[in-house]
Amino acid sequence: MKFGNLLIAGITTGSIYAMFAVCVSVWYRVSNILNLAVGDFAMVGALGVDNLYRVKGLPLPVAIITTLVVVAVFAYLYDQVVLRIAQDGRRPIEGIVITFFFTFALSFFIDGVAKVLFGTDVHAAPTLWSGPSLTLGSLNFERSGILVLACAIIIGGAFWLYIKFTLGGKALEASGENSVGARIVGIDTRQYRRLIFIGTAVIAAVFGIVESPITGFTYLSGATISLTGFIAAAYGGFRKPGRALVAGLFIGVLEAMLGGYVSAEFGDTVLYAILAAAILAWPRALGFESAVSG
Amino acid sequence: MSAEEKPAAQANGNSAAENSAAENSTTANSTAANSTTGKAALAVTGLSVAYGNVVAVHDATFTVAEGDACAIVGPNGNGKSSILMGVTGMIRRRGAVEIFGAHAKNGDVKWAARHGLTLVPERRQLYPELTAEDNIILGCYTWTRSIGKARRSDAYGRAIGLFPELKPHLKQLAGTLSGGQQQMVAIARGLAADPKILAVDEPCLGLAEAIAKRVYDVLAEIHGAGTTLIVVEEAPRRALTLCNKRVEVRNGMTLHARGDNPPFPPTVVTA
Repeated sequence: MKFGNLLIAGITTGSIYAMFAVCVSVWYRVSNILNLAVGDFAMVGALGVDNLYRVKGLPLPVAIITTLVVVAVFAYLYDQVVLRIAQDGRRPIEGIVITFFFTFALSFFIDGVAKVLFGTDVHAAPTLWSGPSLTLGSLNFERSGILVLACAIIIGGAFWLYIKFTLGGKALEASGENSVGARIVGIDTRQYRRLIFIGTAVIAAVFGIVESPITGFTYLSGATISLTGFIAAAYGGFRKPGRALVAGLFIGVLEAMLGGYVSAEFGDTVLYAILAAAILAWPRALGFESAVSG
Repeated sequence: MSAEEKPAAQANGNSAAENSAAENSTTANSTAANSTTGKAALAVTGLSVAYGNVVAVHDATFTVAEGDACAIVGPNGNGKSSILMGVTGMIRRRGAVEIFGAHAKNGDVKWAARHGLTLVPERRQLYPELTAEDNIILGCYTWTRSIGKARRSDAYGRAIGLFPELKPHLKQLAGTLSGGQQQMVAIARGLAADPKILAVDEPCLGLAEAIAKRVYDVLAEIHGAGTTLIVVEEAPRRALTLCNKRVEVRNGMTLHARGDNPPFPPTVVTA
């Protein structure tokens, strides 16, 4: 059952990519800024919990809650100071600079602080649900993997319900669709920008915590995660969380299959070649044209 | 340059004459309706709007009485829409705006909406990838956060009820609707905000004549139900079939004029 096990592994990593892709595209819809620091929040989640629990000796729940609160407060301050000056002032910055520059800088900033605080070694948050992997026939389910999937389904489902069935969720969509139209009905797009930024930072940190036992994190892991989420989000033109989710899952599964059947060494190379070829073949169907034309 | 306000009613009419205003298809100057007895729904004093160094509106002053249907007319690019944008708070302004006697906060659209002034903007500004129904219900966002309350509200029911032709299209994405349908969705969204004053900016831009007529019929119906109307219109003939009062905007900037004796020539302020 090599195929089945690869599929399970692929869906697990894919769901992580999918969550980060959804975080990137939801926030881009509201703010028109690409969050290149989303992976760094995951890294802070994983290494922060590890540091507080293993080094400082705090109880695990306290370590987790403290880390998440610190991430949320930091995200709030970043929005209040940097993004408010950049976007809400009398002369808002527009174009390519605001689209990526400030979050790119944030990513480097977080990496630098993390290096000082956590060192350069590979660490991981403690496993939340330890024990041998579960088996069903010849299929193996890693417990951490199940936890990741459960988190993805719960958080993704809650978000979907929020969008579909509340006026606030529709307002969030509206502010991404047409910011002038949103202001007319009194939607405060800044409030949504702040809410989603803090929300996605905390969600990223949660995923860092549940995922890190599988892969392990260093202070530089954030950039790789952001990049994969960013690429998956691009498949929805950065505006369609649903497509970003499917793309994230697809990339995860494809990566696992290529690693298992083609070559562990060149799996990534082949993966990105396939992704690039797909974009060239079906630019419109994959949402790349709308990404270009805005 | 100038905005002249020409109060339609010189004569002391009565409320019966007021009711006939909507049907009266004469120009503003000769309309017999008298609404000056109503209290001011909107009072604008010395309104100026600028985009950077470019002055779009300079020192506009006019009032709209409760129950009025007021047309803001003038050629393209002369600042008509900017007046509405400034008054509703979509862009920052100088000068004072009072809505039913309360001093309006500068740049606060929500405040204006809560106090009864809602904008149906130029080019509609819908959310193209949301359904028509979602577009309309978001009008309720000005006064509630509960989708249940919004669905059950009179304002939403009235907004949907005014446009029977939208019924089969409510689940359709707004971006896929025809121009006329989109305009109706935009007006319905404005009504869902439960406005006392509805400000409609170029409602017939790019619409076929038959659709434009339907839009004006609906506006007349809205006015007839007691909502104060402000219509920005490039084609004054259409607007003045409905409106009992007009504000004229000339040359981008405005000069305020009152009563019979507009101070000509207009003062020119260079941008």
